[in-house]
Amino acid sequence: MTRFVKTQKELEGRYEDVWVLVDEADDTVSWTPDQELSLVGHPAPRHDGAARAAGRVRYTADVVLTGMLHTAVLRSPVAHGRVRSLDVDAAWAVPGVRAVVGPETELSLTTRAPLLTAEPAYAGQPIALVAADTLEAAVEGVRALGLDLEVLPHMIDPQDAVNEQRFTTDPSDVARGDAEAALAAAEVTIELELETPAQHHSALEPHGAVATWDGDHLTAWVSTQGMFSAREELAKAFGLRTDSVRVLTEFVGGAFGAKQGAGFEALAAAELARLTGRPVRVVNDRHAEQLDGGRRALTRQTIRLGADRDGTLRAIDADAVVSMGQGGWVFPVMIPARTVYHCDNVRALTFPAKTNLRAQHAFRAPGVTEGVTALEQAMDELALALDMDPLELRRRNHAEVDQVSGLPYSSKHLLACYDRAAELAGWEARDELRLPQPDGLLRGMGCATQIWWGGGGPPAHATVRLDADGHALVVTGIQDIGTGTLTGARIVAAEELGLQLDHVTVIGGDTRNNVYGPVAGGSQTTPSVMPAIRSAAAKVRKTLLQLAGDVFEIAVEDLELRDGRVRSHDGAIDADVTEVTEKLGDATIDASGSRGVNPEGFVVNTFGCQIAQVSVDPGIGEVRVERIVAVHDVGRIVNPLTASSQVEGGVLQGMAIALSEEQVIDPTTGVPLNAHLDDYKIPTIADVPEIVIDFPNVGDLNLPNVGAKGLGEPPIVPTAAAIANAFAHATGRRATALPLTRARVIEVLS
Amino acid sequence: MTGYARPASLEEALAMLTHTGAAVLAGGTDIAGQIDRGIRRPELLVDLQAAGLAGVVREGEGLRVGATTTLADLAASELVAPYAAVSTAAGLAASPLLRNQGTVGGNLCQHTRCWYYRGQEWTCWLGGGDTCFAQIGDHRKHNLEEGDCISAHPSDLAPALAACGATVVLRSLVGERELPLLDLYRRPTDDNRSLVVVTEGELVVAVRLPAPPDASVYLRTGERQAFSFPLVSVAAARRGGELTLVAAGVSNIPRAIDPADPLAGLPGHPQSAWKRQVLTTLAERAAAAVG
Repeated sequence: MTRFVKTQKELEGRYEDVWVLVDEADDTVSWTPDQELSLVGHPAPRHDGAARAAGRVRYTADVVLTGMLHTAVLRSPVAHGRVRSLDVDAAWAVPGVRAVVGPETELSLTTRAPLLTAEPAYAGQPIALVAADTLEAAVEGVRALGLDLEVLPHMIDPQDAVNEQRFTTDPSDVARGDAEAALAAAEVTIELELETPAQHHSALEPHGAVATWDGDHLTAWVSTQGMFSAREELAKAFGLRTDSVRVLTEFVGGAFGAKQGAGFEALAAAELARLTGRPVRVVNDRHAEQLDGGRRALTRQTIRLGADRDGTLRAIDADAVVSMGQGGWVFPVMIPARTVYHCDNVRALTFPAKTNLRAQHAFRAPGVTEGVTALEQAMDELALALDMDPLELRRRNHAEVDQVSGLPYSSKHLLACYDRAAELAGWEARDELRLPQPDGLLRGMGCATQIWWGGGGPPAHATVRLDADGHALVVTGIQDIGTGTLTGARIVAAEELGLQLDHVTVIGGDTRNNVYGPVAGGSQTTPSVMPAIRSAAAKVRKTLLQLAGDVFEIAVEDLELRDGRVRSHDGAIDADVTEVTEKLGDATIDASGSRGVNPEGFVVNTFGCQIAQVSVDPGIGEVRVERIVAVHDVGRIVNPLTASSQVEGGVLQGMAIALSEEQVIDPTTGVPLNAHLDDYKIPTIADVPEIVIDFPNVGDLNLPNVGAKGLGEPPIVPTAAAIANAFAHATGRRATALPLTRARVIEVLS
Repeated sequence: MTGYARPASLEEALAMLTHTGAAVLAGGTDIAGQIDRGIRRPELLVDLQAAGLAGVVREGEGLRVGATTTLADLAASELVAPYAAVSTAAGLAASPLLRNQGTVGGNLCQHTRCWYYRGQEWTCWLGGGDTCFAQIGDHRKHNLEEGDCISAHPSDLAPALAACGATVVLRSLVGERELPLLDLYRRPTDDNRSLVVVTEGELVVAVRLPAPPDASVYLRTGERQAFSFPLVSVAAARRGGELTLVAAGVSNIPRAIDPADPLAGLPGHPQSAWKRQVLTTLAERAAAAVG
C-alpha cells in the first residue's frame, strides 16, 4: 500500500518536516554485514569514465544549438558602487548584438532577487547582459556599454562589520551547561584564535546554462547539482507548469556546493532566449567563475577549552566571525564544537558579518570543515598543555550519544577509525619524525577527527524496467556531478536484480523522466537514492522469479537469481536469465521504488579520522604533505573505487585550505586580486601526497535497506586540521591562520 | 579586433613588426592571457612559427638557441644538458602543456605577474597609469627593491641563462645587436615603462651561450610544486674560482646577487620582506651546490 508519511528531512544539518510518499512494499530488509554480495562492495570503474577521459561526453558548456546566441555579462569592477550611466544604444549598435539587458530593463521573469543591479555590492556582481551571434560580438557589446560608475564605500574586513553590527542575519548564541563557570573551574585551559581562508570552488566546468523555448515549453541544459530545484526555480520564475520545463544535467564538471538550482546563468539564458526567440548560452569565463562562482567564507574563530588533568573535557567556549559577503546560508561552523566530543558545558557564538563580497556559498562540508579546522587545532593545543597523546585525548572524550539531542547514533565506529588510522600511519613512532632528518627538513605528524551528517533520506525514487534481452534500464533522479553515483546505482540495481553489471543501464540527469532525486549536496545522493533503486529492483526481481517459476514449473521459493542466471537450489535448473525474459517479447517488467524514512530516535552522522605527515623546509618556508591516512566510517561502501576517489578529492581540497588556496582581496578597493587560476593556487599532481584510504565498511542497519551513508563531504573535513597539527608537531609553532604559504611559514618560524 | 599574420621568413616578420600596434606572437602563452584580460589590445599579431627561429645548435664552444625554441625542447636538449641551471629552469617553468608551447624568447620577454598589472580592474603605473597599487595594497609576492613599480621578475630562464653567461641577439630591419642577457632588461622609468630594451620593430632572435660553466644549478620556490612562477629563484654558475649568482622574484628584472652579501640593495617591503630569508637560503644553497 502506498501512503503519505510525515518525517524529518536533513540537509547539511538543517532539518525540516516533510510529507513523503512511501510504498510499504519497499521495506526491503537490509543486507546483513556478513552477507555475501556479488557486486556491492567490489570495485567497478565508472560506466562513463572512458568517455569522460576521452572528451566524448557533452557538458553544458559544450552544448551548441542551431542559431544559438552567446552572452557576455557586464560585471561590477568595484566592491560597491552605483551605476551612473550605461550606453545601451552603443551596445545595440555593435554588429551581431541581439539583446541588451540592463538593470532597468523590464524582464519577463520574476525571481526572488533581482538578476541585475544598478548598485553592485561586490566586485563581479552582474549589471547588464549582452547576447550576440558570437561571443566576441557580445564582449564588444559589453565594452560599448561604457560603464560609468560612482564608487561607494565598501567593507571587506569582517571584524569591521562586527564592530559596526552589520550582520546578514542575527548572530546566534547556543549554549548548554555553563561554559564560563566550567572554564573558570577547569584544571587546564587553553585558548586559540585561528583564521580559516576563503576558498573558491573552482570547478573545472564553470557555471553555465543553455536555454531554448518551444512555445511555452522551456528546455534548459544547466550545470547544476539540483536539476529538480532548477526546474522548480525556472517554472516559478517564468510562471510555467513544472512539466513545461525540462532541465538536462547529464554531465557536470564539478560543483562542490556552488551549483544550486537554476542559478543566475539559467535564469539569464532563459530570459534572453525568450526575448530573442533564439537559443541562448550563458557560460562563465574563468574570471567570472572565480569572482562570482562561489566562495567558502573566511572565518575567524576563538576556541577556549577547559579540561581535567586526565584530559576529560569540561568546557568548550567557541565563537566564529564569518565573512558572509552579501548574504547566503550561515553555515554550521559551530557544529563541531557542539557535537564532536562529550562535553556538558558548551557555548557557541556565530557572527555572520555582512561584507562587500559575493554571498557565501555552500562548499563541500560547509561550516563543519572550518569548525573542525579550528576545534581540532585547539584539541592539539590542549593535548600539549596536558602532555598527552593527541589521539588519546580524543579517545577519552569520545561522544557515545549525540551531544545536542542526547539521542543515540544510528551507528558510530569512530574509535575503530582512530585505531586503524594510527596503525596505518605509524602513529606510535611519530615523535621519531622530530629527530634530526638526513635531508635537513623538519617532520611531524598530526591527526584530526571528522564529523558530518550524510544519512540522506526521502524523497527519492527510481524505476526499473527489464526487457526480453534480460537487460534492465534504471531511471533515477541522480545528477552525477562527477562523483560516480550513477555507477553506484548500477551496482545496487544489478546486485538486487541478480544481473551482470553490463546488463544494467542507469540514467539520470533529465527531469523529463520525472523520477525524483535530491540535490547532489549534503552527501545525500548515495544514502537517499540507492535504497529507492534497490526497492524498485527488488520488485522486478520478485516478478522475474515468479515468471521463472512458471517457465521452469517449479516453486518460486526453490529458485535463486544471481550473476544473470536462474538456479534451483537442488541444482537441476541452471539457466541464463534470458530463457525466462525472452518470453516477454515486447513486454517489460516494470517497477518503481521509493526511499523509506530514516529511523526515529536516532541521529545519523558519519565519522572519521585523518593523520597527516608533513615536512617543512624552514629556510624557504615550504611545507609538503608527504602522507595522509584517511579512515572514514560511512556505513556500507557500495563501490570502493569511486569511494576512494571521493576521499582523494576531499583530501586534496582540504590540503589546499592548509597549503595554498585563499581568496586575496585588495585592501584598497575591496576587489579580489587572485580571481584567476594563475594566482589562485589549486594543488597540482606534483603536490599530491601518498593517500592511504580505509573504511570500517560496516553497513548501518538502522538505515533503509542499503546501509550506506554519503561520502562526498566527510573526507575534506579533517584534512586541513590534521596538516596544521602536523606542522605544529614538526616545528613547535602554530600558525594562527591558514594557508601555510611560504610567507606565513617564514613569519611563524622567525 | 586583433589581426593575425604568419610571415614566412624572419625578414618578413621584421617588416611587419615595424607597423604600429604590431605585437609578437611566439608560443602565445603570455600575450593570449593579456589580450583575454584586455590589458593589451594589439592591432596585429605577428606569428613567428614560420620564421625559422627554432632550434639549438652548437656554435664554437657554446650554443645558439633560437628564440622560438620551446621550453620543452630546451629542457630535453642534450646540447643544453651541460648548462644544468638552464635545463633545470626550462623544466621547472610552468606546466608540461605550457612548456610545449612557450618559447625561450617569450619566456625572457614575458610581462610581470603582478596581480594589479594583470588585473582588468586596475590600470597601474607599469601599465601606463599613475599609481603602483601594490605599494598601497597587497604586495606579498612583490619585489624587495624601492621603485616606482615593485613588481617581481617572473622568468625562470632569465637568471639561469644570465648565470651561465648568455647573451641575447636582437634583430631589426636596421641591423643586429648583441647584449649580455642582464642588459636585455631595464628598470622602468616615468617616460618609458618597458622592462626590456627591445625597441619597436626589434625582435629577440636568439640566445647565445659561451662554453659551459664548470658547474651550475637553479633553485627556486613557488607557491606549489609545479605550474607556478618562482616566488624567488637563484641560479648559480662557477667558472674556475668565479661564482655568479642571479636571482628572479626580488627585483623588477633579473638581478645579479653578491654571494658575500645577497641582500645588498634589497630592503624589502612590509609584506614582501619574507623573501629576504628565502633569497639568503637559496643563494647559500646554490653557491654550495656549485662548489
